[in-house]
Amino acid sequence: MKNQSGNFLEIRGLKKYFEAGRTSLFSREQRHVHAVDGVNLSLRRSEVIALVGESGCGKSTLGLLLMGLEDPTDGKVTFEDKDITHLNDGQRKDLRRKIQMVFQDPYESLNPTQTIAEIINEPLLVHGIGATQSERDERVKKAMEDSGLKPAEVYLNRYPHELSGGQRQRVVIAAALVLEPEIIIADEPVSMLDVSIRAEVINLLAELRITRQIAVIFITHDLGSVGFFADRVAVMYLGRIVEIGTMLEVLERPQHPYTKALISVIPVPNPRLRHERIILQGETPNPINIPSGCRFHPRCPVAFEACKLSDPLMTSLSKTHQAACLLITGNK
Amino acid sequence: MQTALQKDAPETQPLSWGATFWINFSKNVAGVIGFWMLVLVIVVSIFAPVLTPYEQSSSTSVGIEDIYQPPSAEHWFGTDDAGQDVFTNFIFGARISLLVGFFAAFISIFIGGIFGLVAGFFGGRWENFLMRFTDIMLVIPELPLLVVIVALTRPSLMNIIFVIGILGWTTTARVVRSQTLAVKSRKFVLRARAIGAGRIHILARHIMPLVLPILVVQAVLAISLAILNESALSFIGLGDPSALSWGQMLNFAFGRGAMSAGAWWALVVPGFGIVWVVLSLTLLGQGLEQVLNPRLDTHHLMPGRPVVQKEAGQVIQKDALLEVQNLSIHYIKKGKAPARAVENISFTLKQGELIGLVGESGCGKTTLMLSLLKLLPAAGQIVHGKVFYLGKDLTAMNEAEINEVRWSRISIVFQGAMNALNPVRTVGDQIAEAILKHDPGYPREKLAARVSELLDLVGISAGQKENFPHQYSGGMRQRAMIAMALACNPQVVIADEPTTALDVMIQAQILELLDSLRKKLGLAVIFVTHDLGVVAELCDRVLVMYGGVTAEYADVDVIYNTPKHPYTQELLKAFPDLTKPKKKLTSIPGYPPPLDNLPVGCRFSPRCPAAFDRCHTEEPALHVLADGHSASCHLVEVAKG
Repeated sequence: MKNQSGNFLEIRGLKKYFEAGRTSLFSREQRHVHAVDGVNLSLRRSEVIALVGESGCGKSTLGLLLMGLEDPTDGKVTFEDKDITHLNDGQRKDLRRKIQMVFQDPYESLNPTQTIAEIINEPLLVHGIGATQSERDERVKKAMEDSGLKPAEVYLNRYPHELSGGQRQRVVIAAALVLEPEIIIADEPVSMLDVSIRAEVINLLAELRITRQIAVIFITHDLGSVGFFADRVAVMYLGRIVEIGTMLEVLERPQHPYTKALISVIPVPNPRLRHERIILQGETPNPINIPSGCRFHPRCPVAFEACKLSDPLMTSLSKTHQAACLLITGNK
Repeated sequence: MQTALQKDAPETQPLSWGATFWINFSKNVAGVIGFWMLVLVIVVSIFAPVLTPYEQSSSTSVGIEDIYQPPSAEHWFGTDDAGQDVFTNFIFGARISLLVGFFAAFISIFIGGIFGLVAGFFGGRWENFLMRFTDIMLVIPELPLLVVIVALTRPSLMNIIFVIGILGWTTTARVVRSQTLAVKSRKFVLRARAIGAGRIHILARHIMPLVLPILVVQAVLAISLAILNESALSFIGLGDPSALSWGQMLNFAFGRGAMSAGAWWALVVPGFGIVWVVLSLTLLGQGLEQVLNPRLDTHHLMPGRPVVQKEAGQVIQKDALLEVQNLSIHYIKKGKAPARAVENISFTLKQGELIGLVGESGCGKTTLMLSLLKLLPAAGQIVHGKVFYLGKDLTAMNEAEINEVRWSRISIVFQGAMNALNPVRTVGDQIAEAILKHDPGYPREKLAARVSELLDLVGISAGQKENFPHQYSGGMRQRAMIAMALACNPQVVIADEPTTALDVMIQAQILELLDSLRKKLGLAVIFVTHDLGVVAELCDRVLVMYGGVTAEYADVDVIYNTPKHPYTQELLKAFPDLTKPKKKLTSIPGYPPPLDNLPVGCRFSPRCPAAFDRCHTEEPALHVLADGHSASCHLVEVAKG
């Protein structure tokens, strides 16, 4: 538990380009998908960051990069002051005990042929944790009960298909918890679940940061579902973070036009509060051809001439709040 | 399934995969027949010496009178060219044929399995090399090659087994590779990597268990192929002369004048053996495949039977476009309690109205929607109630009549419909097809213009109609599906979770589109969803369903601001509201009841925070609270006094 107060996960200029074939049959020029295109982010111990954006903005790729499931093209990631950007298999395996991931689809992310006990026991076997099976059973039980699968005995011998979506997601979380990680990267953990049971999974993650001091990177397209429990919100667009700030700063005083639009379309469960929605036309552009200047300008409702030419830098609005928009830079 | 956990009764212990497999397999007629046919052959070949008084090839003294004896009490299947008992040779021949089949299949499954697994799992250069090699092996015609190799290596049983095995692995390799690739791309493999599992671990614990069933099916088919190949080789004289297999029997009989002697038994008997074994293996393989790759059998759409009711016609509201009256739908399966998926649901839809149908998964909303167009799965039956469309009862219509209404009057946008477009035809083509299917006389010269018009209506430029579905994004595909639903100018569109899999921004676009269509075309929309936020943004009236019944039915403002049913209240508490960012979300404990095992009393009582004694014994009626507001809860009745 060193470095208690400072940043313990630091991401600097992280990039991931995927090859996307040649521009034409006879051309030598390689095209690239700029999935993650220069991301800076730091995470504190037991902090919850919501990473928000539409599909194709690179948020899931960023999660995979942090997990080491993809290899970054450029940039640097440090964890507890150690460079973890490129690791060999052994080092990576050790790191995985500390950084764990929860996937989007609880129907797909559990092996249908394994029982719940086998699924949650597996990480311990892989890492050779626990001298005896009874010691491992003890840890499995604790992880399950911490994940709300109580009493554990009821679930141990069941198969995933016998559980509901919410329960399956709890199993996925228990299988991550059993390694006692310090960071959990949750990639859309509730988007496949009914609204009525989303709260139970979100509340569970919110509890874990308190009971186990786990930091959470919560990747989602729906700001509404995480707003209330994230400490900070980072909004991503086409591979970059375009606005970051504390939850209240971003929700109540959004500065980037993209953030404003995203917030305006979150459904409000009250028909008396039907409001003007800023509906952006089209979808996130193809990340092969990143627009010139500000990458958001083709869809931006308030773009002006300069936006086509100049790529705005992140500008500080407060100690914690930054956004990348020429309108802000201009006002400064 | 969920409630089994709530009760945690010991008898609900889950069955292991093996047990489930045997139960399912025993229900598969073809598989069971094939299995027992094969068992019979194996038993006969094992007990061959006991079953016949003769010894194999025991022709110590052959007289001319012994040759080609027709079937008799002494020789059931007659005798062959050497005066031997055909029955004896037949049951001993089964040993040879099965031996060749099993061993050769083992070799080819072993090689093919390893090739397929390695190529599929490791990919890259390994895959390139192995699969190119497989491709080359696959184009070489098998039988001529077998003939050449067997001829060169001298025909012995070992050589034949080896050669058939070595040449028979290619299909297995390809099938195993594609299954490995499919399993590898599944999320649980990625999760295993995230846990830190190595390749060997993933291969053994995650890939193999899912490739194994395919391998079993392949093995069964490989055995039958090997037996056929051995018979063919023996028949053309390349078999092992010392091992009298069925093919060899055929060869000898054919080559030594059985035909001219009229001794049909010498040919028919071994031929029958080959057909019997190959048939049994094919049936078994087919059965195993059906059991191991279960396809969903709930989607065979069948027209529901018209409901005959003696009730007097109810009063229909004047301006109602669609009126559902006391509709009940049960899923009836033999030997099981009926699943009461929908019970006693009533609602009205006026022109231009948008009604939200809200509930958790498994509360009967999709069943209700499918029943409106009589698209229920075979087991689903409308057991009570009526659906009036402009005064005509849809439930009493026959298939031809309902076809007039389907799509042209009432159309559906299904959940995940954007994945239902045909990938090899242009979007414009598919919309044109939808128009022609319901109006075959539509003037062809106007068709292109109509398609453009429809696409324009949903915000897709006409220039994109020549594009294929893969060139569209998810949101655009959903728009195209809406255009298709509008193709015949329907008055009612049922939208079943049309935005569930989409991003918030795309969801907002689709909602805006539905709203504008309703204003522009006077469309009435039934919006089915589990998302209360979407309903608040869009709908005029809301029907909240729980466990197949109406929990609450009211104007949208009432539902959100003065809901009376505890379920509605709890649902609202579970929904994040950004206008109150610090509000703690609460989820409703437990899960919706299974529709074939509903709780006694109020269906919501096991999860209801306000439940009292009466709720656990008596099912509440739907109480009308005010004009257009009703709720089914005992508390409402108490409050009413």
